[in-house]
Order: sequence, then C-alpha cells, then structure tokens
Amino acid sequence: MKLELGNFYVKDIVFGNETKYENGILIVNKEDCLNFVKRDPHITEADLRIVKPGDMVRLVPVKEAVECRVKLNGDALFPGYTGPLSQAGCGRTHCLKGMSLLAVGRHWGGFQDGLIDMGGEGAKYTYYSQLNNLVLVADTDEEFEKREQQKKNRAIREAVHKLAEYIGKCVKDLEPEELESYELEPVIKRADATEKLPSVVYVMQPQSQMEEMGYNDLCYGWDCNHMLPTFMNPNEILDGAMVSGSFMPCSSKWSTYDFQNAPVIKRLYKEHGKTLNFLGVIMSNLNVALDQKERSALFVARIAKDLGADAAIVAEEGYGNPDADFTGCIVALEEAGVKTVGLTNECTGRDGKSDPLVSMDEKEDAIVSCGNVSELIELPPMPEVIGELESLGRDGLSGGWSGDEILGPSVRPDGSIIMENNAMFCGDQVIGWSTKTMKEF
Amino acid sequence: MVKEFERAGFPVVLMCNLVPVAQTVGVNRIVPTISIPYPLGNPGTSKEEQHKLRKSRVGTALEGLATEIKKPTVFKVEI
Amino acid sequence: MKSVICYINQFFAGIGGEDKADYEPEVRQGVVGPTGAINMGLKAHDAQVSYTVVCGDNFMSTHRDEAIERILKELEGKEFDLFIAGPAFQAGRYGVACGEIGKAVQAKFGVPVITSMHVENPGVEMFKKEMYIMKGSHSAASMKHDADMMVALAGKLLKGEELEGPDAEGYYQRGIRHQVWRKDGVNCADRAVDMLIAKATGKPFTSELIIPKKDLVPIAPALKDLSKAKIALATTGGIVPVDNPDRIQSASATRWGKYDISDMDRLEGGVFKTIHAGFDPAAANADPNVIMPVDVMKEFLKEGKIGAIHKYFYSTVGTGTTQGEAKRMAKEIIPLLKEDNVDAVIMVST
Repeated sequence: MKLELGNFYVKDIVFGNETKYENGILIVNKEDCLNFVKRDPHITEADLRIVKPGDMVRLVPVKEAVECRVKLNGDALFPGYTGPLSQAGCGRTHCLKGMSLLAVGRHWGGFQDGLIDMGGEGAKYTYYSQLNNLVLVADTDEEFEKREQQKKNRAIREAVHKLAEYIGKCVKDLEPEELESYELEPVIKRADATEKLPSVVYVMQPQSQMEEMGYNDLCYGWDCNHMLPTFMNPNEILDGAMVSGSFMPCSSKWSTYDFQNAPVIKRLYKEHGKTLNFLGVIMSNLNVALDQKERSALFVARIAKDLGADAAIVAEEGYGNPDADFTGCIVALEEAGVKTVGLTNECTGRDGKSDPLVSMDEKEDAIVSCGNVSELIELPPMPEVIGELESLGRDGLSGGWSGDEILGPSVRPDGSIIMENNAMFCGDQVIGWSTKTMKEF
Repeated sequence: MVKEFERAGFPVVLMCNLVPVAQTVGVNRIVPTISIPYPLGNPGTSKEEQHKLRKSRVGTALEGLATEIKKPTVFKVEI
Repeated sequence: MKSVICYINQFFAGIGGEDKADYEPEVRQGVVGPTGAINMGLKAHDAQVSYTVVCGDNFMSTHRDEAIERILKELEGKEFDLFIAGPAFQAGRYGVACGEIGKAVQAKFGVPVITSMHVENPGVEMFKKEMYIMKGSHSAASMKHDADMMVALAGKLLKGEELEGPDAEGYYQRGIRHQVWRKDGVNCADRAVDMLIAKATGKPFTSELIIPKKDLVPIAPALKDLSKAKIALATTGGIVPVDNPDRIQSASATRWGKYDISDMDRLEGGVFKTIHAGFDPAAANADPNVIMPVDVMKEFLKEGKIGAIHKYFYSTVGTGTTQGEAKRMAKEIIPLLKEDNVDAVIMVST
C-alpha cells in the first residue's frame, strides 16, 4: 500500500475574499467557512481567529486539533466518519503543513479540554504553540452536557474535522512543494536483506474507556471501545483512519493532528530496511474492566508473535488505570519473547513523590518517559484570551480547580493562572513530539 | 489509603477491579470486583442478580478479613 | 554569611562511647569535634556552623519524642539556612537518629537537611525519601571525605543552584521525579526507536523510568470472630450526598467526607451519587450501592454475620490523587476509626 503526502508549507494565514493557497500563504474566506460550519444547526455561535507562534494569546478550552487536508480521489478525509467508508492510507493526500485547525469552546469546557499559550513562558508546554493556527471558536446548543464535566463535544469537534477537509480542498489541484512517499511491502514478501533485520511492531493504545458512545477515539468511524486489537498499515493512521475522542485528562491525549503526523511511525519508516524491518501497527485500545485489559494484551501479544515481531514499541494515550493496560501489554509481549519499549507519561504528583505508574512490573526495563501530568504550573496573565478563561477553573478541566485551600482558584482575578500540567492541550506528546523527560531530584 | 489503615493495625480488604494495580501498590487482602464504574452490580442485569453478586462479593470480603494469610492474597470469588 | 546547624552523637562529640549513649540533648554554640571540618569547608560557600546539637544515640532511640521536642525547642528563634546531621557511616542507631532529627527539623523550620550514611545503614531505607542522604563511607576513617561530600551539596543548596540529580550529586535516590526539558531536544519518538534498536540488537540502553521496588506493609492479623467485629466502609469511588457537602474534588482529590449510615438500610439514588470524573457515573448514580454496598452490609448485620457497622462511611476520589494526599487522608480518618473501636475496614475502589 502506497501513500503519497503532498506538502504545502503554510508560512502565514490571512483572511481574504477567497479561500486559497498562494506563495506559502493560506488565505481564508472567513464568512464562507463560518457558513459551512453553521450548516450544523447545533452550532449556535462561531468565529474564526488566527494565532501565530509568539502571539501573547491564551486559548482555552481547546478541544481538538486537525491538519487541513484533501484526498485527491475524492474520498472522505476521515472515512466512515466525515463521509462513506473507503480505504485510508493509499493514493495521494495533499496537506497544509506547519499549521493546525483548532477547536475552542466559546464558553464551556470539560474534563478533557486543554489550554494553549501561543507565547511567553507557557508556550513550551504544548506542541501547538509552534504552529500557525486557524482557530474555530464556537458554542453549541448541546444543553444536556453544558454543565457536565464529561463532554462529547460532538458539534465543535465534528465542525473542525469537516472544516479541515473543506479548507484542504484549496490545494487539491496544486502541485505540492514536497512529496513524501510511504510504502511497506506485504509482510511476507520483503527483501532478504530487510527480513534479516529485527522486525518491529508499533502498538498504539488509543483512548477508549467510555462505555457510552461519542467520547472515544474512532477507527474508521468505529468506537475503539468496541474493537479488539487489530493489525493496521501505518499509512492508515497517517491518512485519517483515526480520529481523536473527547475523554481523558488533556495532556495525555492524542489529537487528530497527532494521529495524522504520528512521529513514531515516521521514524520507523526512516529506519525501515536500514536498521529494522517495520511490520506495521497493532491498533489496540484502553479499557475499564480487568478482563477487557487482559483480553487486549492477549490479542496484541498473539498478533505480534504470529507476525514474527522481534521487538515492539507500546504507547498509551492516558494515565491512571490505563497504566494497567500499558503494563499488561508490555508484560504479555515480553513473555512472548518480544523485546519491548514503553512510551508513556507519569503521574508522580505535585511533589514528585508518588509512584510513576499505578501498575508496574519489573519486565518493563525500557521506558521512555514524557512528563508528569500533575506538575504544578503558574503562568502570568495574557493580554488576550480566546475562548473563556473561567472555564479552566469552573468547568472541571482535569488540571484546573475552582478553589483550593492553599493555592486558591486556578483562575485569578488578574488573569494569571495556576494549574496542573494535566490541562495542557495534548501537552505530554506521548505520540512522539515530547522533548520532556523525567528526572530524579 | 488501604496500606495506611493496615499500618495502623486494621485488617483491610480492598475490593477493586484492577487487581494488578492493587498488587503493584502492595495491598495484602484483595477481592476482585466486576468493573470500575459498577464494582458490585452490573446495571445490565436484574436488580436481583446485582444484589446476589454484591452479597456474594462482600461476603467474600468479610471472610477475607477473618482469614489469616502469609502473603498478599487475592481471594477467590463465588460469582 | 549563611548559617548552618549541625547534629552529632555523643561519640563524635568526644563525650564517650556506649557508656555515654544516654547523654541528653544539648545545643552548643559553634563547632564540636567533626563539625569543625564542616565549618572549614563551608567557608568557601560563605557559610558557617553556628550551633552544634549533641545527643546520645540511646537517648534518641529510647526517648525519641522527648529528644526531638527538646532539640526543636532549643532551636526555636535561631536563624539558620540548612541542617547537617552526621555523617553516620554504618552506625545504625546514629543513622536513624540523624534521620529522625533531620525529618523533624525540616518539617518545623522548612530548611533543607543533609546527612550521610553507608548504604547498609538502616537509616538509608527509612529516610532517603525525606532528605538528602549522601552515599557515605563504611567507617569514620573516611570522615573528611564524607564531610566534604555533604559540604559540596550544602554549598549548592545555600546558593540556590539547580541540582544535577542524585547520581551526579552523590545522594541516594529520594523517589522524587519531576519533568524536565531535555537540553539536546531529542523527542520521545526518536528516543523510543533508538532504545528499541539498542534493546533488539543487545546493545546497552538506559530506561528513563527504573521500576521502583514495592513498599510492603506487614499483614494485619485476621479478625478472630467476625460475628463480634465492627466493620467500617470506605471508598475512593466518590460516593457523596447529592449536594457534595464537603466539596470533594472529582479528580486529584485532597478532601474526604464521612456520611452517617446508621439509620438507613441502603444508599438511595437521588440521595447519594458519585462525583468521580474517571468513569461513566450512570450506574452508580442510579444505585450507589454498586460502589458502596451499604444494603448487603446491613443484611449481614441483621443476619448476625458481623457484630456492628461503623456509623459512617468514608469517601474520596481516587483518580489522579497522589499517594501523599491519600496517606494524609487515611491518617486523618484512622483516629476516628480507633475512637469508635472499629476492628476492620472494607475499602471499595473504582
């Protein structure tokens, strides 16, 4: 399966009369885009904003990030979700690089939403402060969850998933500046030289712990809570098979943009045929009940073994009880003789003294660690806030609080904030971007 | 918390779903429950069945409190 | 000029050996015995030893609370920036004494504490999470070396310099982990793949998380007679009265509540609910007994299987709650259990 990604590097975003890409500049027809978004009658209020690296702007509550793209053959960008089912991961897809489309609540946030500072000392906590961002700020009539801590955020998230494709269409007929090509030969038909190298699988554990539909990551539109681990071509993940959900403290989450650009997959591709033989991805999930966790671990280890994997990377989109899925999966792989590296964040508490994972095993001897979800962060006021700053403390964001005996409220009257890393938008970047690690003090 | 109670001399049974987590932490008496959101009664079953399960598991926990153990133990459940 | 207070035992103070181990605590101005060498070293860091506390090892171990209280009282009002105890080498009672007094001084005065012990000193396991314990030598023959190590760390702490971590600075790992940005900027995808290639090809690699050893608690003896026992119920599943009167947080909880169940047969939905943010609350809101099984406990009571149920159940939220907070909350609850002569606890977690 061969996937070509045609890249258009967006150096700047401006509003104009027609949505088009010219000389590295993305021009966006704001009114037209907003009309497109408002086709969903549940969107009651919508605005588009542009933010750039270094802007002294704070965005909260951020709900999703997507890369704007278009499939040249006319297939849906997210098959089985924004359009009919089709095969993701083949053919050509044109991508607007160096930018993301962000979804921000005009008022209401929830447990799974996060914060981005585009400039100042808070910028280092998220990946998205390095990108030019087009920001959809919207409100909805989803009254049933307005005051709920757990929100599906269906309308706002779907709006950016669809708008990403709508905007992406402007580069459909243009010649990309760069063409990346991703192709893996069928597993049993590879060159001898490649087959002699250590064969590797990448095991992804996307978030799927809500039993009610509408909160979990989707695989071709299918709720990942309802799937057993399956073997996937890495191209599928790079090309819209996976859509991010709306559950889990935000710093642990993987946005749709993260899936579309999965750095571990790209690096494994680079090594393929040189230092290793990249077999593909085992898409697992994260579960609530122990038997579900054990069943998934069993399936992952068995698929890895049947594929002849010598080594694996396991990455989890979560912390807390998902650590039991993570550890269970690594132990199952090690017991099947697969040498495994784990990729995760930790929860050592504000004082750094808690156990790093809630479930650990001595077989986990190779861990790459991306941060502490409960690190305390204090940031000065920002001249401008997009969204509603109050949401951080008021709406139960995982790293915010309305009051605390010692620390006071997360949001102070002067606009300065104190919060846990938990609420930094996709902050721990376990998907692969993180330059953070954990250190003993 | 369980460990602090035990350190203070109370025998404690932890009823939980994630047995490996309890074992990692070093809990001594464990009785498994059926899930995280509803440890002691599946809402997909009848009230009677939920009650029967709950009574059985809590009964196992009480027996666990009265059972001398030499090493950390996961007590077997009836239903 | 910064000020440091030191602690040594009767032996190093030159008072005597085992026969003088009951020596009562006293605080002397300036240096005593080996703290002279520490004082010399501190000069380079613009600091000095202002007082030296002396206490007999046996006095500290047999009258611990009294010894600590007397020393703390004497130190009140004395301005100091750092506390150095030992070095204790492999002397067990001395090491534990350094740990006990160091922990108390740190808690009361909020100053950093440094001590030094040999790896086999029992004080290392007991106190390494509480303070900086330098990896010390076996015997007092290496006094200068061990004292210099403590002084080097003291210098950095007094200047507020960033520490390089336990291995580089020479202290035992305290189990305190915080996030840092890597200076080389290598992202975790590259680190994971590099580690994978190393592991798959048998080359050395360094895990970024060494799995810590389990902290085991002695097993409490079983109940002799269940039918006479008083049982208390507790949960981390966030079951509270619907108005959440104690404002327990739905994640990273620092608060707990106790709720009277003495005059109810079961927990009713609409009266109790869960505020736990880590799972779908529908089932527990409809029937809170699926997390806090008051109904079947009351039946067991009526049937005579158990002797009594503690008047209250205790509740907090487990998700994201640190062990430190959980420990503190448990310690706040324990006296209430003891007061009511509770015999055993059932905890339901989610």
